[in-house]
Amino acid sequence: MALISPTVLALRRDPRLLKLPPYLSALLILVGVVWLCLLPLNEYSRHTYISENALLPGQVHTYFGGSEQNVFNAYKYEVKELAGKPQDEISNKLGEIFKSAGLRSARQKYEYQAAGITYTGENVYAILHAPRGDATEAIVLVAAWTNMDGELNQNGVALTMELARYFKRWSLWSKDIIILITADSRAGPQAWVDAYHDEHISPSVAPLPIKSGALQGVVVVDNALDHHFESIHIVYDGINGQLPNLDLFNTAVSIASGQLGMRVALQRMWKHDDSYRERLQTMLRGMVRQGLGHSSGPHSSFIPYHVDAITLQAVGEGGQDDMAMGRCIESIFRSLNNLLEHFHQSFFFYLLMQADRFVSIGTYLPSAMLVAVNFTIMAIALWIRSGRPPAPKLATTMPEKSSKPEVDVIQKDGMTAIVPKETITIHERQMFIPVSLVVSLHFLGVIPLYIFNNSAFETLPYYFLLFTMVNLVLPTALATFIHHQASLTPQQYLLLHSFSLLLLGMFLATLATLNFSLSLFVGLLSAPLSFIGNPFSGSVEPKDVFPSQLRKTTSSIALQLVSPPVVVSAVCYFWGTNVGEMLAEAAFGWKVNGLWMQVIVWCVWWPAWLAGSVLVSPVL
Amino acid sequence: MVIDRRKALLFGSATTLRLLLFFAFPSLPDLLTGRVEISTPVTSFKRLQEGLFLYTHNVSPYDGGVFHQAPLLLSLFALIPSSLFSPLTSLLYIALDLLCANALIQIAESGEAGSSRLFTSPRNELKWDGIAIGAAYLFNPFTIATCIGRPISVFTNCAILYAIAKAVSGKPMSSILALGLASYLSLYPILLLPPLILLCYDRQARDKKETPPISTFAIKYTSLFFATKVWFLYISNILTGGSWEFISSTYSVQLLLPDLTPNMGLWWYFFIEMFDSFREFFLGVFWLHLGGYVGGLCIRVRRQPLFIITTLLGIFAIFKPYPSLSDTSLYFAMLPLYRHIFPLMRYTFFAMATILYASLLGPAFYYLWIYAGSGNANFFYAITLVWSLGLSEIVADSLFAVLRDEWEVERPEMKGKDVRQI
Repeated sequence: MALISPTVLALRRDPRLLKLPPYLSALLILVGVVWLCLLPLNEYSRHTYISENALLPGQVHTYFGGSEQNVFNAYKYEVKELAGKPQDEISNKLGEIFKSAGLRSARQKYEYQAAGITYTGENVYAILHAPRGDATEAIVLVAAWTNMDGELNQNGVALTMELARYFKRWSLWSKDIIILITADSRAGPQAWVDAYHDEHISPSVAPLPIKSGALQGVVVVDNALDHHFESIHIVYDGINGQLPNLDLFNTAVSIASGQLGMRVALQRMWKHDDSYRERLQTMLRGMVRQGLGHSSGPHSSFIPYHVDAITLQAVGEGGQDDMAMGRCIESIFRSLNNLLEHFHQSFFFYLLMQADRFVSIGTYLPSAMLVAVNFTIMAIALWIRSGRPPAPKLATTMPEKSSKPEVDVIQKDGMTAIVPKETITIHERQMFIPVSLVVSLHFLGVIPLYIFNNSAFETLPYYFLLFTMVNLVLPTALATFIHHQASLTPQQYLLLHSFSLLLLGMFLATLATLNFSLSLFVGLLSAPLSFIGNPFSGSVEPKDVFPSQLRKTTSSIALQLVSPPVVVSAVCYFWGTNVGEMLAEAAFGWKVNGLWMQVIVWCVWWPAWLAGSVLVSPVL
Repeated sequence: MVIDRRKALLFGSATTLRLLLFFAFPSLPDLLTGRVEISTPVTSFKRLQEGLFLYTHNVSPYDGGVFHQAPLLLSLFALIPSSLFSPLTSLLYIALDLLCANALIQIAESGEAGSSRLFTSPRNELKWDGIAIGAAYLFNPFTIATCIGRPISVFTNCAILYAIAKAVSGKPMSSILALGLASYLSLYPILLLPPLILLCYDRQARDKKETPPISTFAIKYTSLFFATKVWFLYISNILTGGSWEFISSTYSVQLLLPDLTPNMGLWWYFFIEMFDSFREFFLGVFWLHLGGYVGGLCIRVRRQPLFIITTLLGIFAIFKPYPSLSDTSLYFAMLPLYRHIFPLMRYTFFAMATILYASLLGPAFYYLWIYAGSGNANFFYAITLVWSLGLSEIVADSLFAVLRDEWEVERPEMKGKDVRQI
């Protein structure tokens, strides 16, 4: 370090170097986006493969079918009869069916409150004790009474009951099988899995009376169709963008398409002709799902507990009957039964662009990291710029004796130069005001976080409207307030910008390891924050640091267009949902599923946006 | 007695903030107590509670290898009525933080950092006053997190700060007693003895004009230090019913590192990976490395003993066997005393950015490893390396700045110029 530092010290004064960061930053964002767009190409994505040899997907003959069809039809009839009946009656009947199949069953009541709405229900489940196991491990077969769209999951529930009866007859299970019928698709599974791990909120969620061993894998059946289906839609996104092990997904795909010849769809891409466009679209849909991180099916609740889970949903109209679905699940369960240890091989971080193509974290992570790094680079550049002394006064025609600039003689590589002392010294930085401003802006984010997660459903749209209005004038108000309390010096102005970007870059880099997509989206939406003010100037003169009035106005308007409330409204408009529902959904995720996407929006993105907007707001 | 209003305001606001965190967020203390960044096997509050339970039920807490803390703490915490245990311990830890801040303010007001007996910095004028330094300690997020997480190391930190405060106010006797307590509680402060004796000696020589030669002084206070230690051990022996088994579960755990629970330091991963036959050798190497700094710094920076202590505290925060956030907070408490050398430091922004990055990525990677199961131990270890890199950048940079500061006294014509190693 001692040897290189003089070179580094000499380099950092090079004016060309100081001009570089904004271009570099813009380049990084561009490379990040282009990188993402390259991923669907054959050269950058890979074919999926099974890593865990023990799984042996599709290697067993499946026997489900024949006379099982009649029993299935009988169960389906029972389920249809029960539709719309009170919960108690349904639970009784399901318990009876389990009992008649020779299984021990139990029930669990739950009640959640979110956004002023109460979600109640009762889960019914039964445990099939493994004839060849020691009850230390279990696999779970789940069917929700109503699916994510709120439709009665008639075939799914009937098939699950029938599979329970069918599995009971086999003596080859080495893991317990738990058959779970939840009352709905989001709150029910969460209540059950929380209680299974003793993490439930008592007394509103009841504990489980009987339990088995550690959960190794979960398969959810969702078939609300009244006719034969065409393909299987595999849903795999967990809460907060966590994903199940890729091996489980691959097993399901290879059994469904390889062994049974069914078409497999993912991310609601019903038609997929393997073109670049469709691959990119699948990947982006997956990323949006991951970024939002909300529950996408009963399987989502299991994934935070490190239990790998997927939902198999029957879609379309075609030639596959329920027996085919049953055989698919039988075969998956035979594979899971083979597992020697918990899923650990394969990948936990991946983006799928087709049922048999993926990119792993090493390939895609750089794109989000590059976007996050752009903020850090700008923060460093602003920090260096803030330490520069004001430029020496221009030479006047009137010679002034007293103001002769102090000079230093610098000798380097045998050459001697006389340099004004002012360009070498670094000015002491006044950091107290910028640091406290940035920190308090980040704490301010707690207010919208609290309001949007704790308000009633009816009031949410009004609060949102109010917040959007306040957000329009807040930057100007804050800028005016700061101006009148303690007018920022050029240095403090640069430091405020620098710290805000530094923090944003840091949060996004960390987030990229937890939820890649969210980090990338927030990073791209906040990208303009790097370029506000006068990024291309290297001077610290007030006229070069503070943007001109025109610039301020245009930047303010531009920033308002990418402000969090505007983006949220735009997304809702694009998807055709209403803001209130979206916020209620988020509040539900926060209260029930432990979703923390809102924390990122209100305590990371919004404060960074606010700091940027305050910097460019016209002062009244 | 006139109560300093600024001090009262500072202590009042720090107490309010801590009380708010303790009582408005009841789950926060338990959350932080469980974090590996705050609680190590030798300082964990949970283990203290475990040991206390065994102690009050007349079972030896040192059986079973869970409890590694000093017996004196047991009898202290056993005095707290169990019905009020949680609020009273909170108050105790808040009081400890305030005591630490009080000691820091004393150290700052003595002016020892800018001008010691043998050296007065040309930048001496540039400094923060005691209240600002106390505030920097009390409102440091690391300190607050440590206070809420209640590790035992807060007691050690307080004893170390008092040892320094007494030394700079010319009371070598109480200073050595305080250091004896600190090293009784966690062993490693024993390495601070040589610089502390130098500090005491310098302070006394400055105040009294005629002092005994340094060798007599050193022998006197070294023997006092060991007498203190022996006395503490004897008391502990009585408290644990005449058994010496506490020695093997307290000090030898710190020396021999049998518990490899992950922490922010560099030792655990090395010793997990290591073949058992090399264990003793590398234990020796690691301890020698840690101890080696003491002699070197005492010789090189002899003129500023307080700075030796500060730098050693920074080195401990990186290289000691079970480091935690509280060691870092102690180092960051002492660093602002050297406000006058900040302009000479060259990598502050990068070092601080590194530390901030590591303190965000550390918990994220620990989560991926332990909870999500999608990462592994290497993730967390990589971040502890980054964290240590950030800290060592600050240690090295501050050392450079102090040496440069001393050098500019000898070579005033070089002020503000680049130096180059030839």
